[in-house]
Amino acid sequence: MKKFYLLVLILSNMLVISYTSAQVVSSSLMLNILSSNELNGTAGDYVTVQAQIKNISTKPQSNIVTYLSLSDNDTKLPVDLEDWSAEKGQFIGSIDPNQTFPLNWKIHFVKAGSYSLTVIAIIEGNSRPEISTITHFTVLAKKNLNPAHVLPVALGTPIVVIIFLFLIASRRKVDY
Amino acid sequence: MNAIKQIWLKEIKEELYTWKSMVWLVVTAFLFSFTTYLLLTNKELSLLDQTELLFLLSQIIIGVGLLIITIDASSIITSEFEKETAESLFLSPIKIKDFILGKFLASFTLWVLIFIIATPYITVSSAGSNLVLPFLGYVLFLGSLGVSAFIFLNFAISLLYRSSKNTLTTSLIVLLLLAIPAFLSSTFKNNTLGSFLGKVNPIDNIFGFLDNVLVDYHTRLIDNWQFFVPVIIFFALMLLFLIYAVRVFKRRGLIQKEL
Repeated sequence: MKKFYLLVLILSNMLVISYTSAQVVSSSLMLNILSSNELNGTAGDYVTVQAQIKNISTKPQSNIVTYLSLSDNDTKLPVDLEDWSAEKGQFIGSIDPNQTFPLNWKIHFVKAGSYSLTVIAIIEGNSRPEISTITHFTVLAKKNLNPAHVLPVALGTPIVVIIFLFLIASRRKVDY
Repeated sequence: MNAIKQIWLKEIKEELYTWKSMVWLVVTAFLFSFTTYLLLTNKELSLLDQTELLFLLSQIIIGVGLLIITIDASSIITSEFEKETAESLFLSPIKIKDFILGKFLASFTLWVLIFIIATPYITVSSAGSNLVLPFLGYVLFLGSLGVSAFIFLNFAISLLYRSSKNTLTTSLIVLLLLAIPAFLSSTFKNNTLGSFLGKVNPIDNIFGFLDNVLVDYHTRLIDNWQFFVPVIIFFALMLLFLIYAVRVFKRRGLIQKEL
């Protein structure tokens, strides 16, 4: 009897595993971000996110919309890509089995911080989107002007001008 | 020469020994401080390349200089008529040429003071870019040309109108007409008329020159002749206009006769 229960348990587990695998296998598209290592930069930089979409199913897929999703790791909020000058979603009319398409998005690093990027594909008629692995990157703050030099001048010059003019004016009675 | 010096020193003393005049220099320092502070801290401005920040600062320096000099020069001659000191002035053996030159030097000195105030801002903002000297040199050179042309224009209008209010209004309208398109984005210059106006507008050409030097690193004068020529032509035209206004002034006499 014990053996029977054990057999039922093993079979049920196998059934669950095969069902889950079937779910993974049913994923018809594979998305990869190719430029993961080149995304780090400085605020103000323009970089190109290079990705690839591959049809890993046995039948053609059509009407696919791909787009970027970016989130700020510090604020835990999604980033409005309009500010980042990103292009809109890219439409793929049809992709045959085992066919790959390159995907490129030019983005403008606007703000320093740590970010997570994914590429998402929506196939018309599917209830679930396909998603790439997450790529993490860092945007460094841009320092064009040296605050240690600029701030003393910005704060000090008006004071120096006022003192200088006051000294000139005090040499003679000032008219109003 | 002595008369020119005397008029110049008299005007400088009047400029520096009145709070009203000195406030301009303090306002200028605060404007430059505000601009550099914004360039340092503003999120969008700080995304610009350093060379573009320098170009923006150069526009502010030239713009502020032209505005202050226009306001100052529009009253420096007319005040003699309005205070009724012109009559006694011209009774003394002073030639009108010396009078104009003395007044010109006084107005120009104010531009030199504005440039001196701008120097530390230019130096710290362009540190590390190898553009300190071209930035200083071309702002002084182009600013001096532009400012001189506007002083000539103001003096000419002053001699024709003999009224501070009318001179100031007319000069400011001319300055705005030339400066507003120059500050507008390139979309304004996309059509034929906008493009033509951009090519003949002296302020546009001063900014084009500085853009070419500071952003594109074309620091030689010969590389910027297309911007330089319209500025020189404007300078020459304003000088001719002043000469014409002096002749009209002489013809009308100190006590104005209707022509």
